[in-house]
Amino acid sequence: MLSNKSSLSSQQQQLPSSSSSSSSSTSSANAKVMFPDKRSTTKQMKSSTLTNAAGLSSLITFTVLLLAWISGFASRLFAVIRFESIIHEFDPWFNYRATAYMVQHGFYNFLNWFDERAWYPLGRIVGGTVYPGLMITSGSIHYILHSLNIPVHIRDICVFLAPIFSGLTAISTYLLTKEIWSAGAGLFAACFIAIVPGYISRSVAGSYDNEGIAIFALQITYYLWVKSVKTGSIFWASITALSYFYMVSAWGGYVFIINLIPLHVFALLIMNRFSNRLFTSYSTFYVLGLLLSMQIPFVGFQPIRTSEHMAASGVFGLIIFVAAFRYLRTVLTKSEMKYFGGVVAVTTTMLLLILIVLTYTGVVAPWSGRFYSLWDTGYAKIHIPIIASVSEHQPTTWFSFFFDLHVLVALFPVGLWYCITHVNDERVFVVLYAISAVYFAGVMVRLMLTLTPVVCMLAGVAVSRLVELFLKEEDRDGNGNESNEESEEERERSPGPNLRNVIVLGMLMLLMMFTVHCTWVTSNAYSSPSIVLASYSNDGGRAILDDFREAYYWLAQNTANDARVMSWWDYGYQIAGMANRTTLVDNNTWNNSHIALVGKAMSSNESAAYDIMTSLDVDYVLIIFGGMIGYSGDDINKFLWMVRIAEGEHPQDIRESDYFTERGEFRVDSEGSPTLLNSLMYKLSYYRFGDVKIDYRSPYGYDRTRNAEIGNKNFQLTYLEEAYTTEHWLVRIYRVKKPAEFNRPIIPISERVITRRANSYVTKKTSRRKRGVIKGRPVVIKGQRPQRRTT
Amino acid sequence: MECVYRLPFLILEVPNLKLKRPSWFVKPSAMIVFSFILLSYFLVTGGIIYDVIVEPPSVGSTTDEHGHTRPVAFMPYRVNGQYIMEGLASSFLFTMGGLGFIILDQTHGPSTPKLNRVLLICVGFLSILVSFTACWIFMKMKLP
Repeated sequence: MLSNKSSLSSQQQQLPSSSSSSSSSTSSANAKVMFPDKRSTTKQMKSSTLTNAAGLSSLITFTVLLLAWISGFASRLFAVIRFESIIHEFDPWFNYRATAYMVQHGFYNFLNWFDERAWYPLGRIVGGTVYPGLMITSGSIHYILHSLNIPVHIRDICVFLAPIFSGLTAISTYLLTKEIWSAGAGLFAACFIAIVPGYISRSVAGSYDNEGIAIFALQITYYLWVKSVKTGSIFWASITALSYFYMVSAWGGYVFIINLIPLHVFALLIMNRFSNRLFTSYSTFYVLGLLLSMQIPFVGFQPIRTSEHMAASGVFGLIIFVAAFRYLRTVLTKSEMKYFGGVVAVTTTMLLLILIVLTYTGVVAPWSGRFYSLWDTGYAKIHIPIIASVSEHQPTTWFSFFFDLHVLVALFPVGLWYCITHVNDERVFVVLYAISAVYFAGVMVRLMLTLTPVVCMLAGVAVSRLVELFLKEEDRDGNGNESNEESEEERERSPGPNLRNVIVLGMLMLLMMFTVHCTWVTSNAYSSPSIVLASYSNDGGRAILDDFREAYYWLAQNTANDARVMSWWDYGYQIAGMANRTTLVDNNTWNNSHIALVGKAMSSNESAAYDIMTSLDVDYVLIIFGGMIGYSGDDINKFLWMVRIAEGEHPQDIRESDYFTERGEFRVDSEGSPTLLNSLMYKLSYYRFGDVKIDYRSPYGYDRTRNAEIGNKNFQLTYLEEAYTTEHWLVRIYRVKKPAEFNRPIIPISERVITRRANSYVTKKTSRRKRGVIKGRPVVIKGQRPQRRTT
Repeated sequence: MECVYRLPFLILEVPNLKLKRPSWFVKPSAMIVFSFILLSYFLVTGGIIYDVIVEPPSVGSTTDEHGHTRPVAFMPYRVNGQYIMEGLASSFLFTMGGLGFIILDQTHGPSTPKLNRVLLICVGFLSILVSFTACWIFMKMKLP
C-alpha cells in the first residue's frame, strides 16, 4: 500500500475524469450482453477470449472498477500529501487510540478495557461502549500484514483504511445497482460513488471513523438482501445476516438497515407482492440477524428491548401471519376463514396491548433522543442541547445537497422515475431507500452520508439509460440492417445524429464538470486534518499552524502523568490520544450532567468555577482561542452551547439571557453583558490579550475572529495561572492553583511590616570587636614573617 | 382445531358486516407516486426542515452606505445557513434539471412527430443546462 502511494498520487489528476468517460463509453457495449460476475477470472480469459463479447465486457467491467478504486483511493490522499500521514479531527483519535490498545494488548483485554483516563472521576468501560468493527478490521489487517512480515505501523493502516474501503464500497454499489437495473448502470454508480464528495467527506485518508467502513457494510448488506429476495435462498439470506452482523459491529447506523428491510417487506406485502422467496429470506435474515446483532457487547439486548427495533419484529410477526393465512386459505373453507380473521384480530390487539404495556412499564425502552429528533425535528433543540450543539447534527440547507452531490442531485429523481415506472420487487426497495434517505439527509447534515450511495445508484441508472438511448440509435444508424424490428418511418422521425451527438457531448460535459467539482471539493473542503491548520498568503506561500499538537505535546512533556485536564468536550479525545492525559469529558457525550458541570465551570465567574474545579480535581484547564489569528472554531464561539447545556442542568445558577446584551446580542466588546465579561471562559481566553497589538491599525486587544476590541482588558487571575500558550495563541493552558498558593494575602513590599522577635538578648559585641573575629587568627605584624603554626 | 378458534365466538357474535373497499382507494399509478416523491424531494432539498427548525427570514436585508435597506436573496458566505426563498429557488432548479432529463427520455415515444421531438429535446436540454449553470452560480455566491 505504501509503495503504491507515490505512483498513485501522480495519477490523481487525470484519473477522475478518465474513469467517468471510460465508463460512459462502456455502457453501450454493456447493453448487449454481460457476464460481470466473472471479474475474478478475467485475467485468464483475457488472452484467449478477448474477441469474445462476454470476455470483452467482463474485461471492461474489471478495468472500470479497478480504475474507480484507484481514482477513489487517489483522490482521498490530498491530506496525506499536503500534510502528513496523520489521524484527523476528533473521533478518529479515539478510534486510533482504541485500535492501538487492541493491537498492543489483544482483543479480549480490549473488550475488558476500563479506561480510567476518560470521564474523570467516572471512567469509561471502552469494550462495552464501542462498536468494535472498525478496530477489529484494522487490527486484523495489521495482524495479517505482520504475519507476512510486512511491518506496517498501525497508524498507517488506520489512516489508509477508509480510502481502501471506498473501493470496496464502489464494488458493492456496482453489484447492488446491477441487481436492480443493469451492469452498465452499476458501472456508472461505482464511478460516481468512488469520487462523490458526500462520501469522500467521511472517508479521506486519516479520517478513521466508523462511517468509512460502515457504508461498505451498508451497501453489501443491501446487495445481499436484494439478492436473497430475488433468489429466495436461505444461503443468501444467511450471508445477508452475516453482513448485517458486520454492519452492527461497525456503526450505530445499522438501525437504518433493520428498519429499512422490514419497511421493504411491509411495502411488498401491501402491494400484494408476497412470495415464498420473500418469506424465506426475511424470516432467515431476521432471526439470524437478531441473534448475531445481540453478540455485540454495546448493542446487547437492545434489539429486543428498544422501540427502534420493534418494527422489525412486528413485520416478522406480520409476514408469518400472512404466510399462515395464505396456507390456511388453501386448507380451510370460506366459512372457517371467517373465524380465523376474528382470532387474528384478537391476537393482534393483545400483542399491541402487551407492547404498549411493556413500553409503559419500561421493559421496552422508548425511542432514544437521537432517534426521536429524527421524527420530531424541533425536539433536540428544546430538550437535548448536547445533540443540537454538534454542527453535523444541524439540519441541511440546499447548499449541502448541491455541494455534496452536484449534478447527481438532478439525476436522482430521474433514476427514481425509471425505478417507479418499471417497478419490481427490488426496485421497490431502492425507492424506499431513496425516500427515507432523502428525508434523513434533510434532518441532519451528517446523514448526507446515507443518502449518497442511493443517489449514486439512481444517478447511475439515469445516466446509463439516457446514454443507452442516445448512443444505441447511433449504432443502428451506422449499421442499419441490424434493427429490423424498427420500421422505416420510425427511423425518419428520430432526430438527426447531429442533435444526438450534441446531447451526448453535453452529458459528457456535465459528467466532466462533476468530476472537476468532486476533485475541487475534495481538495478544498474535505481534506483538512483540522488538527494542523494551513493558511495561505497572497503570494501563494503556506504557513502551517501546528498549535494543537504543540499544546498537546507540552501537556505530555510537562505535566504529571495523572494530571487532570479540563476542556470542552470537543477536545477530549485529542487530549487523551495525543497528550495521554486524563480528561473530564470527551466526544463520547454519554453523560450530560458531567458535561453540564464543565459547562457551568466555564460559564460562571472565577471563584464559583474554582469551587467546581476543586470538586472535580482539575489540574489544568485547556481552552482554544482563535482571536489572535482569526480562527472561528474556538471556544468563545462555542460558548453559548456551554451556557445552554449548563442551563439545562443548573437552571438556577446559569441563565442564557444573562450572557446577552439588553438588545439580545452576544458581543465580547465593552458593551457585552457583565456576566459574560467576568465568566471564566472569557477571562481565560483574553488573559493578557489586552496588552497585545496585532498590527498598527487596530487597537490593543482586537479580536480578529469576532472583529471587536475586547471589553475587559485589565484583569488578573486569582485562582489560576497561565501555564502555556502556543505560538499563535490558539491553545492556552492554565494551571489551577492549589489553595495554599492564593490564600496568603499579597502585601506590597513598602507596606510589609516584619515583626522581629522582641527578646532581651543583648549582644556581647563591643564596638571594637564588632567586625567579628576568627579565633586563632594569625596576627600580622608588619616586617615580620608570620608565625608558623605548629600542629 | 375448530373448537379452538370458535372459542371467542361463544361470547362474541359475528356481526354481519359487508366491508367494501372505498372507491377512491385504488392502487396509485406510478405517475402519482412519482409526483408525490418529487414534491417531497423538492421540499427536502430546499431545506424545509432547516426552515422549520431554525426559522430564518424568507429574504434577508442589508443596509447599504446610503442607509437604504436592500433585500438580499442569498445568505452570503455561510454554507450552513440559508433564507427560505433561496432554498426554494435552488431546489426548484434541481427539480427542473431532473425534469429536463425525464423530458429527454420521453422524446423516444413512437408516436411523437419529429418537430415535437426536436422541440422536446431542446427544452429538456436547455432546462438541464439552465438549472446546472444557475446552481453553479448560486454556489459560487455562497462560497467564501
